[in-house]
Amino acid sequence: MHSLINYLVGYETKRKRLLKKVPKGPLHDFLSVPFPALDTPIDELPILAVDFETTGLDAKADKLLSVGFVLLDQEQIKLNSSYHQIIKAKTQLEESNVIIHQITDAQKEQGQPLATVVEQLLKALAGKVMLVHFARIERQFLQQACLELYGFMPDFPMIDTLVVAKRKLDKRDVAYDPSELRLSNLRHQLKLPDHHGHDALNDAIATAELLLAQMANRANTDNILLKDIIL
Amino acid sequence: MDIELSEISSFIQGIPPFDTLPKPSLAKLIRELSINYVRKGEMLPPKGINEPRLYIVRKGALSCMTHDGELISRLGEGDLCTEFCKQILHIPNDIEQRAPRQIQSDEDCLVYSLDCKVISELTEKFPSIDDYFSYNSSQRLKQKMSKVNEEAVISSSLMNTSVSDFYHSPVAGIDATQSIQDAAIKMTEHGYSCLVVLDNTKSIGIVTDKDIRRRCVAAGLPITAYISEIMTQNMSTIDLKNNAYDALMLMTSKRIHHLPVTKQGEVVGMVTVTDLMNNEGHNAVNFSSIIHKAKSLDALIEISILLPKLQIRLAKLGASADHVGKSISAITMAFTKRLIEMAEEKYGPAPVPYAWLAAGSQARQEQLAHSDQDNGIIICDSMKPYDDAWFESLAHFVCDGLASCGFIYCPGDIMATNPKWRQPTKVWQKYFDGWVDTPTPQALLNSSVFFDLETICGDASLLDTVRTNLLRKTTKSSLFIAHLSKNALGLRPPLGFFRDFVLKQNGKHKDTLDLKHNGIAPIVDLARIYALSQGISAVNTIERIKQAAGSAAISTSSAENLIDAYEFLGFLRVNHQANRLVKGLEPDNYLSPKELSKLEREHLKDAFKVIKTLQDSRQASF
Repeated sequence: MHSLINYLVGYETKRKRLLKKVPKGPLHDFLSVPFPALDTPIDELPILAVDFETTGLDAKADKLLSVGFVLLDQEQIKLNSSYHQIIKAKTQLEESNVIIHQITDAQKEQGQPLATVVEQLLKALAGKVMLVHFARIERQFLQQACLELYGFMPDFPMIDTLVVAKRKLDKRDVAYDPSELRLSNLRHQLKLPDHHGHDALNDAIATAELLLAQMANRANTDNILLKDIIL
Repeated sequence: MDIELSEISSFIQGIPPFDTLPKPSLAKLIRELSINYVRKGEMLPPKGINEPRLYIVRKGALSCMTHDGELISRLGEGDLCTEFCKQILHIPNDIEQRAPRQIQSDEDCLVYSLDCKVISELTEKFPSIDDYFSYNSSQRLKQKMSKVNEEAVISSSLMNTSVSDFYHSPVAGIDATQSIQDAAIKMTEHGYSCLVVLDNTKSIGIVTDKDIRRRCVAAGLPITAYISEIMTQNMSTIDLKNNAYDALMLMTSKRIHHLPVTKQGEVVGMVTVTDLMNNEGHNAVNFSSIIHKAKSLDALIEISILLPKLQIRLAKLGASADHVGKSISAITMAFTKRLIEMAEEKYGPAPVPYAWLAAGSQARQEQLAHSDQDNGIIICDSMKPYDDAWFESLAHFVCDGLASCGFIYCPGDIMATNPKWRQPTKVWQKYFDGWVDTPTPQALLNSSVFFDLETICGDASLLDTVRTNLLRKTTKSSLFIAHLSKNALGLRPPLGFFRDFVLKQNGKHKDTLDLKHNGIAPIVDLARIYALSQGISAVNTIERIKQAAGSAAISTSSAENLIDAYEFLGFLRVNHQANRLVKGLEPDNYLSPKELSKLEREHLKDAFKVIKTLQDSRQASF
């Protein structure tokens, strides 16, 4: 559904349309910067690799726990741009989630408010394409956060390493196990170092490395454009 | 909250010199990293990077080549590429000056990189980082060897020696009410540098030469003052049940040279730093004297079983390879001498003067346990043909005896039992002349064994005459030296390591490093060539290099580098063999790169470079 709307309208058109409605503030600032054009070559494309840790999969019921991101600029991952922040959520953490994220209530108490973190993310994201692995979580949670904080749900141009891999597999017309599409498995297939993630920043870096490897392993590596890989 | 880039951080932390960084600086450094993906076949630096950077291979492999495509090294996971930092960091060029290099990826690579300016800042703050980058390979090796030698002194046999074995007793005491002058007189009379100060019979302090100098003379205190005024109270002591190592550690930490020894709290004696140092290194001497007293071959065999144990002990004590080689060679010599004495008892005295000769590693005093025997007999020219029967009996008795003691028969039959190597002086002379005049492949092979020859027992003048004539000839025969050099250069050291493999000159990989043929033998060969071309009569490799230093054959600094390389390779060999002997395995020279730390690999690479450079310059000289 999303792809269809994007196809019909285009994220730049939607950005301009929404910019007119949104009052001054972080979201307005974010929308003021044009997104990269669809024919931008990948080696000139400013990308922000992003990962969220959440209490669950439902953006309306569950909470955002932490945000990590890192800049991927001209095919170079720059760790000096890396960002990691735990969010001071209001809910108690469930034990099962603590095991996965290793974020305890005590750490969460030292976190920052959602508004601050989202503002920083939007500032870093302005004018860039967002890179994630399995886009649904980051898109829905970020849109939900924007809705709660600013009253609007913007659209974000995204690259999803899971979809990049899936498109390649689908083209081969051979059955595959969905678990092959996991971040760590895809990295393994492309001979990247073992990754034991579950912290938002490390996952964001792992995703950025995966994209670089995917681009290098395409049949035709010359002149890949944003439109070739955008979600 | 902290950003814990824990995986990246633990990776970087494992790589010298970053392993020396304190945690906060490491965390800061990691934030300066960039990550690039370099496709197979692409060159460094990656597209889009203009400033000079240091690269660290995270995954994949890089090749460093000269512009004419000669492979210099291969880099794998965890290896640093400093090629683009040389200017900013003032990294000295290695001893060999090569054409500028190019770095190409052999596989798809994930590389981390740091701006050279960041590294430059680190070198200003941390001497360990600065040392790493500002030394070239021979300097790094020198530093490593001086560290090895230091550790050898500290961790030597002191661990296994009790304080009770070597403390001085009784200790000289002085009553607290006596004057400083009285103390000085007593010290002078007894030749002590230290006295225990007593209150009645209870020891309450200690006074040394230094206290008299510093606390009395320098402080202007009258020499009539009580000795108790300048003594050190609350003195450190050590119980005599402790080992010597503890004593040394205590003295080092307190910066004292004298340590009173107590038994159940009572001062009973004294140890000094000098005592500790003198306690070292008499093992081989003891061994030789036991051998000398052995009454039968069986008794000798029994002693010989201990030889590998001695090698283990020496290695564990941190003895240098030179020391181990000399000790084992000395013991082999003692065995040989004792066997000759037994033979002379059995067959009567020799009909004419002769000398028993050792060749190869024993002659060079570089022998290790379980090595094979290389020997011969040189006999006075006055011998009659029928005299040989006596020498033949001697040869069989001694060679069989040595074999029973674990020195296996020479596979090449270079032994006194072979009539060819049991000859009068004039024949030996003819052999040598022939080899020098007509350097056939067999002659060159013989040269490498017989030009390292030493008299073990008998009339040393027989060999000396032959050797003097030989050296006179070799110093003039550039053709022979050229052939010998060419032959020796056949053994080339590897380039270094790539992942857990040994990287050979042709770019191929091997699972193990042959320490002997890829490192030690090439140096022994070079040293022999230097000696023969310069008329040096020494046969020990280090001795040959030292004596050749500063001659036309090799410069003083190259000689030092070569000795460092030789000692480092020897150090690895001795330790490797000790580890095998401990496990009950045959000692060998094959080292798996997995046994080596990252830093040891670096040092080995440095040693290879030293050898290669000197081989190249040898090659260029003819």
